[in-house]
Amino acid sequence: METLMVDRVQSSLRLFMYRNALFLCERLCAEFPSELNLQLLATCYLRNNQAYCAYHILKGSKMPQSRYLFAISCFQMNLLREAETALCPANEPNAEVPNGAAGHYLLGLIYRYTGRRTCAVDHFMQALAIDPLLWAAYEELCILGAAEEASECFNDAAAFRVQQQQLSESSSQNLTIGTECQSLPSSMALGSGDTSPRHSKQLHANNTRETLSHPHGTVMVAGHPPIGGPSNISQYYTPPAVTQLSGVAPPPLCRNAQLYLNAIGGDGYTKSNVNAVIQAPRRKFVDEGKLRKVSGRLFSDSGTRRSTRLSGEAAANTNSNASQLGGNGANHFSAKSLGGLSSSSSKTNSAVLRSVTLRRGQSWANENFDEGRRSQIFYDSCADNTVTTSSMSALADGKCLEQDKMGCGISAHDSRLASGIREFLGLLRTLGEGYRLSCLYRSQEALEVYLRLSQHQFNTGWVLSQVGKAHFELVDYFEADRFFDLARRVSPYTLEGMDIYSTVLYHLEEEMKLSYLAQELISVDRLSPQAWCAMGNCYSLQKDHETAVKNFQRAVHVDSRFAYAHTLCGHEYVALEDFENGIKCYQSALQVDERHYNAWYGLGVVYLRQEKFEFAEHHFRKAFHINPCSSVLMCYLGMALHSLKRDEEALEIMEKAISADKKNPLPMYQKANILSSLERFDEALKELEQLKEYAPRESSVYALMGKIYKRLNVHEKAMFYFGIALDLKPPAADVATIKSAMEKLYLPDELEDTL
Amino acid sequence: MATESDGEEDTAGKLTGSQHLEVDDDLREMAKKAAWSVSSCKPGNGVLALRDDNLDTYWQSDGAQPHLVNIQFQKKVKLQLLVLYVDFKLDESYTPSKISIRAGDGFHNLKEIKTVEFKKPVGWVHIPLSGTDPRETFIHTFMLQLAVLSNHLNGRDTHVRQIKIYGPRPNPVPHQPFHFISKEFITYSTLR
Repeated sequence: METLMVDRVQSSLRLFMYRNALFLCERLCAEFPSELNLQLLATCYLRNNQAYCAYHILKGSKMPQSRYLFAISCFQMNLLREAETALCPANEPNAEVPNGAAGHYLLGLIYRYTGRRTCAVDHFMQALAIDPLLWAAYEELCILGAAEEASECFNDAAAFRVQQQQLSESSSQNLTIGTECQSLPSSMALGSGDTSPRHSKQLHANNTRETLSHPHGTVMVAGHPPIGGPSNISQYYTPPAVTQLSGVAPPPLCRNAQLYLNAIGGDGYTKSNVNAVIQAPRRKFVDEGKLRKVSGRLFSDSGTRRSTRLSGEAAANTNSNASQLGGNGANHFSAKSLGGLSSSSSKTNSAVLRSVTLRRGQSWANENFDEGRRSQIFYDSCADNTVTTSSMSALADGKCLEQDKMGCGISAHDSRLASGIREFLGLLRTLGEGYRLSCLYRSQEALEVYLRLSQHQFNTGWVLSQVGKAHFELVDYFEADRFFDLARRVSPYTLEGMDIYSTVLYHLEEEMKLSYLAQELISVDRLSPQAWCAMGNCYSLQKDHETAVKNFQRAVHVDSRFAYAHTLCGHEYVALEDFENGIKCYQSALQVDERHYNAWYGLGVVYLRQEKFEFAEHHFRKAFHINPCSSVLMCYLGMALHSLKRDEEALEIMEKAISADKKNPLPMYQKANILSSLERFDEALKELEQLKEYAPRESSVYALMGKIYKRLNVHEKAMFYFGIALDLKPPAADVATIKSAMEKLYLPDELEDTL
Repeated sequence: MATESDGEEDTAGKLTGSQHLEVDDDLREMAKKAAWSVSSCKPGNGVLALRDDNLDTYWQSDGAQPHLVNIQFQKKVKLQLLVLYVDFKLDESYTPSKISIRAGDGFHNLKEIKTVEFKKPVGWVHIPLSGTDPRETFIHTFMLQLAVLSNHLNGRDTHVRQIKIYGPRPNPVPHQPFHFISKEFITYSTLR
């Protein structure tokens, strides 16, 4: 009954019927209380977004998988300390981190959010070392600014490493399996290669999905116990888990292509191991019976059964089927290998099983990797009837007659798979390099890297958003607008990067577009910070700062780890001249992400307004260090320097800013300002003349020119320019200033008259 | 910006109210940063009613004329426009008819800057604070005092339903002498 219940629970989970799964699982735990069942229950809760329930049931568990699930629930409930202790118990400093790469990744996140950057970096690196295809870890490293070049992380060495790990695992088991294993690891690697780079938040979902997929594998294991006893299984599986938290899952078990694609190598593997341990004992009694049945049919037509099983599995895609068939198959193989091999040592058998698993993995891997290929391989293997199928089974034996055929088949697969890995790693490399460069704000280079992507990869929401973001950092708002627009058209439901898009529209003063964007985002997901950021930007553009603050606060509320929401909130407070709250907001933003240069900039502006020029300069400089390409930042740094009377440096920076971005008029204007304060009027006027060409309707340019001419006592020109400035309808404050300046122009004349 | 008549004819400089609050975009409300106080009030109709954005609640004075509303800022601010909501139809003899606006550093050196007269006003009354000199669009002051010198029909106490005070927006680019108005400048003038 227990196995049946577990089956149903897992199939419900797989089919997203959470209520069913929860109910059945609770009954299961009541009937057969065990830690493994508890883990399954926790998984159900986590899938159903009830992390608190999972937290309570798993509190105090010691098994690695339990600790991992417990850590996930703590993380979701924002109890970071507890999560950390679960993964890394304080009194066991050398304990292995559960689930290898995934565990390290989670730990890294915990350290990052508790402000321990070096530890975080360390763990992300470890995660990547274990599983080179763990994109999320690389992403985090980029955000922390500590990523090494993508070509270092996603290179051939990594591919080799992945294969090696597989190799060493299998070779430790059985020498005869040698050649096959070599091909198989590549398929394994390929399998994990299918991992798509995705978000940490889905991490636990991925992991839990994998637990589902793994029963299949365990099924095969289960065939083993009758032969080798359950202890062998644990022996067989856990050592690999402990010693080789390798990057590759035996995704042999993964039937569901989607599950598969979400599989993150390392954790998948270890999970499967753990699950194998969990599941194996349960399967035992079910399969024992089958084994007896099967042994009678030991040398019958394995081929057809296997092929039917395989195709049946492919078609049916249910756990129960798999378990039965798998049980049959596994039992069959183990039995066969019993017969086939002289040494019926459990080791060999386990090796056999392993190769079976691997072999299956290969077929699954192929299946998932490429639809076309799948049919090929399957039908190849099936159509080739006994020959191939027996060759497949013969794999287990390692002494098949049709070794050649098999060998050819395998090597054909092998080369395809190996090239598949290389292709995938290449893709990750490009994307990784691009992301790393854009996090380092070397946006021009990042753009070049992204352009190297293939057409179909480039035209995806993520990449287009990243390109848009890169343009935004280069202060090229028109291009950014274009790319974000494309991104929206390609994937209208993407939210990532849309906060930046709303800022771009804010800068371009596109009220209509911005409000439309905000409305759309809210309708897509009311609980996303990006949507509220967009709304806030919309109100801010209309100068309704109070409402903007409310919207940004809502964004913060929705996700307090979203640094940009804090920063935007700070900007609004500053616009309302509430500097205290503004500073608090900027500081919260910096707590989340120290490399968020907008927050440094915001603080600089506050201090500039409060006339604390030293602080202002310090903060602008920090921002500038993080993002050395932004001409606006350079300009502000120059302004701070000017206020500190370090005018030479100020002018230098202005020059840099001007050359960095020809379209930005601000540094030229500031330069003229500085020059006029230094009484270098001619140079100042020259700059302003240039500016006049660029922006002929900007009253401040004429006003400044008028001011300079007044200082030079060239009254007619001063009047002339003041007049133009006034004609351009500046705001009332400027009108007052200009008019009073004009008045004072007359005074000397009047004095002369009265004399 | 005297009268936007939406009802009665104004007589020679006397203000009537307008239905709508019309304020330039480059002005913003300054009142949040101020400390408001009144010379006297009836319990339940205190100074909060002046700031609650609710036109049904009003401040009712309870003492001798002139009735005073004092608005004090922590630092010198530029003020441009004062807007009052009064309603003759509802308040009749409580409606103010003559108001004096004074400014200064504190209670000791207030100086009158403007006097306005109302004639049966209904709605928002906009009172620009600039002097006759067009240069002086703003007054630069620590404190503003609104004195109700007399009411319609010689009423003793007065009702005022809402008061708003406006000043110019600060320059988004700090320490800039002039505002940017063209799109090219504004787009690049700040980071977000």
